[in-house]
Amino acid sequence: MISAKAIRFAVGDFRLGEISLELPLGEYFVILGSPGSGKSLFLECLCGLNRIDSGRIIIGGRDVTDLEPCDRGIGYVPQDYALFPHLSVAQNIGFGLRARGLPPAKISEKVGGAADQLGIGHLLDRWPSGLSGGEKQRVALARALVVDPKILLLDEPVSALDEALRAEVCLELKRVQRETGTTTIHVCHNFEETRIVADRVGLLRAGRLVQVGTPGELFDRPADTEAARFLRVGNVLSGEAERCDQLTRITLDGLSIYAVKPACGPVSFAIRADRVLVTFEPPATQSENCLEAQVVSVSPRDPYVRVEATVAPATHLVAFATLPMNRLALGSRVYVSFPASAVHILAGEGS
Amino acid sequence: MAVGKSPVRGWRSRLFAAGTCLFLGIFVGTALLFIAADILYVDKKAVMTVLTSGFIRQALWMSVWTSFTTTALALLFAVPMGYALSRYRFPGHLLADTIVDLPIVFPPLVAGLTLLVFFHQTAVGRWIERAGFEFAFQPRGIVLCQFVVSASFAIRSVKSAFDDVDRRLENVALTLGYTQWGSFFRVSLPLVRGGIIAGGALTLARAFGTFAPLLIFVGSFRGRTEVLPTTIFLEQSVGNLEVALAVALLLIGVATVCLVIMRLVGGRAVVQQ
Repeated sequence: MISAKAIRFAVGDFRLGEISLELPLGEYFVILGSPGSGKSLFLECLCGLNRIDSGRIIIGGRDVTDLEPCDRGIGYVPQDYALFPHLSVAQNIGFGLRARGLPPAKISEKVGGAADQLGIGHLLDRWPSGLSGGEKQRVALARALVVDPKILLLDEPVSALDEALRAEVCLELKRVQRETGTTTIHVCHNFEETRIVADRVGLLRAGRLVQVGTPGELFDRPADTEAARFLRVGNVLSGEAERCDQLTRITLDGLSIYAVKPACGPVSFAIRADRVLVTFEPPATQSENCLEAQVVSVSPRDPYVRVEATVAPATHLVAFATLPMNRLALGSRVYVSFPASAVHILAGEGS
Repeated sequence: MAVGKSPVRGWRSRLFAAGTCLFLGIFVGTALLFIAADILYVDKKAVMTVLTSGFIRQALWMSVWTSFTTTALALLFAVPMGYALSRYRFPGHLLADTIVDLPIVFPPLVAGLTLLVFFHQTAVGRWIERAGFEFAFQPRGIVLCQFVVSASFAIRSVKSAFDDVDRRLENVALTLGYTQWGSFFRVSLPLVRGGIIAGGALTLARAFGTFAPLLIFVGSFRGRTEVLPTTIFLEQSVGNLEVALAVALLLIGVATVCLVIMRLVGGRAVVQQ
């Protein structure tokens, strides 16, 4: 198990923490945060590249807080991979094994095994300067995994790759992690990437872990307005809430929107764009919230169509519709509907 | 003209390349012209004197071994110093960094005077000499003079090379099980090989041509503290201008061969990286 207890670290004006985190063995944990939120700094603290100001770091049942990076039993893949330019791919992968004093034959065998696992066996005699971004990433991953680390730390491992390649490489990362069973912490700023790989995710903001949960939990129930916007939930609105029968009625811009969670007073709430149904006729199944709307923007988002429709003079709703795009002309009249359970009242406001 | 692959060149690009190469041509051409003037001035008798004189042979040997010793010593200091200046921030960093450059800017003559004053006029200097480490008017003083005026080039060059090494490479080595020592010897040092060789070449060139501080601090005793630059001075001061120029050509020849070899070795090191 990996455990970070009440970690604090300050550099210049930036303060990290206090951060506490527990990872069971074999978990793939993603730390998600915008640039400058302290993700890489936290990873460097776990590596021992930054000495923390307070707190404890436990890796595999051993307190490594005061140990040097070389004694922590970690595998680290930094941004841009940092392959050693003066060593061949095989030498790069075997670099950590040499530090452990393994005989050359054993190194060669383990390097071959790691390379085969990541599909880079044909690159062993090449030099880093001649590799593509994806190949470099695999070499860096093999180099980190071949030493059998207790924890694998990945610092934005796919951000240097082409957008088209990212999802594919994320799936590959997940496959390799599942095969090796290595507990992994992966930091990134992309929620789509997170959804592919993460068992759990922690949302880091200004050096603080604001929410921890599965990707679904975060997306369904973001901690606050900022989290909802960062996670691109789609719709983050504010209104005045009051209890009405078994539901909460939120009024805004002349509209009434119903939610399940009890609240009273001014509230902010989020509605996932994929929970909003767009139809040309009133929906057959009754929904607590059904509003007439006018399409103001349409854009393809394979396999959906992103529709933005105005439901009141100053209120737009975003939906991921499955309707054919050619029928969603700008200005056309549609109905948008969503259940009260899709309306998530955000913490911190209302009572 | 360009290194490696070059883009499509139109007349404007060619004009630009020609403009830059013009200055290079003027500089190199002028230097060659000066050397040619020396060659034309030197007669056969002077060449024979240089080739047969035991003193000049001795001065050549003295120049070669002192320069190489100085270069080795300079690099021995330059590697740890360059790393410390590049990687660590400590109180007095700016001062230390500035002092490293001082010998580059002050006149070499001052280095000789400073050494003379230090060893003869200060308690520490006199104590060092009394302890058996005599430098003034001794061959080892040549190495000291050369070191003082040339080590800065090696330190500066190696420091710049360490600046260019991505610190994350060292960090990765640390996480892969290497200590700071291992990370230094396995990652940082191989990556600055080009900088070390360039620094060594600059130091060697400077040491080989050092003259003014030697004249002040070690004198120019034939067969004892005489190096090629002082031979040139001695010969021209007694009116043997042809012999002085012949020795100068010998110095230029030896220095050129050494520098070319270092550049070739350095170039190969960089290509390998």
